[in-house]
Amino acid sequence: MWKEYSKSYIQNNRLSGLSVRIAAFISALLLSLLCGVFYNLWKYEVERIVLEEGGWQSRIAGSFSPEEIEAVRNFASVKDMVVRDGTGEGAASYGKQSYVEQGDGQESETVIDLYFDRYGAVLKDTPRIAELAGASPEQTAYHYGLLAMYLIRHPSDPAPRLLFPLFLLITGIASFSLIVIIHNSFVLSMNARIHQFGIFSSIGATPRQIRTCLLQEAAVLCAFPVVAGNLSGIAGSMGILELTNRILGGEVPGRHKAVFGYHPLVLGVTLFVTVLTIWISAWLPAGKLSRLTPLEAIKNTGELQLKRRKNSRILGLFFGMEGELAGNALKAQRKALRTASLSLVFSFMAFTMMECFVTTSDISTRETYFERYQDVWDIMVTVRDGDGAAFEEINEIRALPGVESVVAYQKAMAKRVIREEEISEEMKSFGGFSHASESVVTKVDGGWMVNAPLVILDDSSFLDYCEQIGIPPCLDGAVVRNLIRDVTDPDFRHVQNVPYLNTGSTGEGTVSILMRPGSEEMAEVPVLCYTAEVPLLREEYATLDYYQLVHFLPVSLWEKIRGQIGEGEGELYLRILGGENVTLEQLNGLQERIDSLLAGKYVTESENRIQEYELNGRQIQGMKLIFGGFCVLLALIGIGNVFSNTLGFVRQRKREFARYMSLGLTPENMGKMFRIEAMVLAGRPVLVTLPLAVVVMGLMLKMSYIAVGEFLAQAPFVPIAVFMAAILGFVALAYYLGWRNVRKISLAEVLRDDTML
Amino acid sequence: MEILKCEALRKTYGSGDNQVKALDGIDLSVSKGEFVAIMGASGSGKSTLLHILGTVDKPTSGKVTIDGTDLARLNRTEAAIFRRRKVGLVYQFYNLVPTLTVRKNICMPLALDRKKPNTEYFEKIVSSLGISDRLDALPNQLSGGQQQRVAIARSLIYRPALLLADEPTGNLDQKNTREIMDMLKLSHRNLEQTILLITHDEKVALEAERIITIEDGHIISDEHRGEVKSLS
Repeated sequence: MWKEYSKSYIQNNRLSGLSVRIAAFISALLLSLLCGVFYNLWKYEVERIVLEEGGWQSRIAGSFSPEEIEAVRNFASVKDMVVRDGTGEGAASYGKQSYVEQGDGQESETVIDLYFDRYGAVLKDTPRIAELAGASPEQTAYHYGLLAMYLIRHPSDPAPRLLFPLFLLITGIASFSLIVIIHNSFVLSMNARIHQFGIFSSIGATPRQIRTCLLQEAAVLCAFPVVAGNLSGIAGSMGILELTNRILGGEVPGRHKAVFGYHPLVLGVTLFVTVLTIWISAWLPAGKLSRLTPLEAIKNTGELQLKRRKNSRILGLFFGMEGELAGNALKAQRKALRTASLSLVFSFMAFTMMECFVTTSDISTRETYFERYQDVWDIMVTVRDGDGAAFEEINEIRALPGVESVVAYQKAMAKRVIREEEISEEMKSFGGFSHASESVVTKVDGGWMVNAPLVILDDSSFLDYCEQIGIPPCLDGAVVRNLIRDVTDPDFRHVQNVPYLNTGSTGEGTVSILMRPGSEEMAEVPVLCYTAEVPLLREEYATLDYYQLVHFLPVSLWEKIRGQIGEGEGELYLRILGGENVTLEQLNGLQERIDSLLAGKYVTESENRIQEYELNGRQIQGMKLIFGGFCVLLALIGIGNVFSNTLGFVRQRKREFARYMSLGLTPENMGKMFRIEAMVLAGRPVLVTLPLAVVVMGLMLKMSYIAVGEFLAQAPFVPIAVFMAAILGFVALAYYLGWRNVRKISLAEVLRDDTML
Repeated sequence: MEILKCEALRKTYGSGDNQVKALDGIDLSVSKGEFVAIMGASGSGKSTLLHILGTVDKPTSGKVTIDGTDLARLNRTEAAIFRRRKVGLVYQFYNLVPTLTVRKNICMPLALDRKKPNTEYFEKIVSSLGISDRLDALPNQLSGGQQQRVAIARSLIYRPALLLADEPTGNLDQKNTREIMDMLKLSHRNLEQTILLITHDEKVALEAERIITIEDGHIISDEHRGEVKSLS
């Protein structure tokens, strides 16, 4: 049947398969892109885990004799192993062929990192290996993060580790969404020939033969688009990775460069998912069509009918009879245009929401980050395990050309009790500690225990800070940030700060008793000043825990009290200012010099303000580009469907138009009808999206406390209008081509048509 | 030899007050090689009868046997295969596949069985129907009369037990009507084809050996050539 019928049909009706081809291409492209990007995200994550945590799959710790280690090495599924002492030093690799005797053979605390031939053997064989080596189950450990990347979960792993399942879920959702969207293209193509399949059925074609024929046709129509879409998807995922590397490459601290990879298995999975998606999309209408009785099918003239009487009052009111006819025609074509409507509405909605969301996010980031910290920092260096007291390189950095000021600071956490009488009147006016959660404020005898974050500045910077706030420079005490926000006002963007403590009764000369969290140990620190002014640091204070009482203290004082208070967070921060009107090139040069100065001595990460600002801009642009690309692809499905529909007008609607013509409708009247149809089709996404966008954006602005006027001043009207105009333009073009074909219809010929009953 | 037998055949559409009895207890027997015309006005039930005999529709009750096969026992696939091999259908509006040539249209029932036509038989049909020179044409390149000849050729290609023709001349002018009727009679005579012709045109019906008249779903007369047997 395929040879006899479908081949010639496809050859002679290339345009009728256009929508199917476009749908198949875009489906293959999207799924291939998705699979390619997911595979590379997965690969990157595996590489990151291996780089940061090592590539071992399970581990046994304990005291092992050389014989036991040898036994482990000889275990069938073990590919490789690394034996280390407990401190992580003296590691030796023990491949199957390269066993090296360890030391003098004495037993010591040893860790054996195990690498297996197959990931599937890890959970099953590790307990056996541990037993073989005489280790208890408690002495075994699994690399949960790495194993989870291969969908291997150990029951004792508490983390959800949803990355891989999330990839699978998104692919599944994408596949299902595509089925919903593209199966209509097949419906349209197949339904156009119900009458012909009725003829086949009447001369003895079985339902199975009809279904097979339709599926073979779909396979032929989709073969090239699937291959082309898959290849384009692979190229697209390569492009996205390259784009990501260009945007983020080397500029995000701790990020390693992503190298594009493509496993044959991914190609297999992608092809399988694509073919399955398209097959289901084709099978649904093919199955339905094959189940029609010959009588039902043969009576089908392909003409669009209204199932029940419906009036298009609004269109009739605005555009007269042509409006009513256009409205009825659109209702009759509702099924045929479902793909177009859905994909155009979704694409426009997604694009609009994305643009609005990005704009809101951009305003928020700019206000809360870039503008707020514009003059506060130029370069930030994070020194891992740095100790402010011992950090001598600060003077070398200060001496570097182009450096205006450097602050080295650490952070630590302490607790402090605030007594009732210390609370300011302003704070009392909004209820004191009555709104505080027990997790941050604890009621104790005589007051409330609050968190007291300590910001430990290098001595020189602390003295500068004293000058900044107008107190005599002194290293013997702390400066306390005496501010608390009005906790009853949730507007985080326009925070109303009031004095925290009543400095009238607890002014200078008092002490702050700082306690080690979870301990009875404490230290008395003289308070130099309570102030609302903070040092110029890229820090936010009391943002989550509003009741924090922040203390700034010099590192020399911290050295004296750290024994009682405890250790800091282990990281030392360097805030560097490079002078006014500094350029990106100057900052990059300075950053390089600082990095090279610290290289070899410390593990550091550095960032600079202008670079970060530009990076942020590029990230947003990249995200818009990728997401916008998806929206365009989605819109293309819809536009392809509209073209396919309008190009089939002569076949599908000639009787309808012939009737109109026989009643005296002029080509101009029909042109108007087409314009109305195009306008409704292209206008629907706008009508659906705009009210929704207004509601969603209203909520979003309310939640983010951005003023409507501020948003409107930067609202993405232009890109949204361009997207809308593109949809309108393509739909108008499709209808224009349809109208041009319809104008060629000969009234006499159509009225003579044998099936026109 | 009896090739077709209908017993108490009934077909109703709709339900309740909207119920319409298209066929109401039809009993009919046709012998092999007979040329029977079924006459009736529009809405009399004659097309419904043809659709049931052609297995494109199912009766509400009653039994139909064609060439020994009880049609009620056939599932959809078996019905399609039965239609392909045992019944030839000719419609008023030809129902040719517009994208296939005349040759392929004619051979389609065989192609569905992955069979090739017997060249001699194929030549005999197309030459007797006068379409030998149009085999490579597409249906829209043919006149109405020629398209109907192709439809007849298609219905005969499998040597069906029964040829069912539904108003085959309803869409043709007098000249073509004459020619198509001649073709049907020729195939009846030369191929001993059993033919059941549905028409509302008395002139056309008079070409048959036997004329059955249906009214409101009942057979009201069954007239053999020169002899009228009143059933009412």
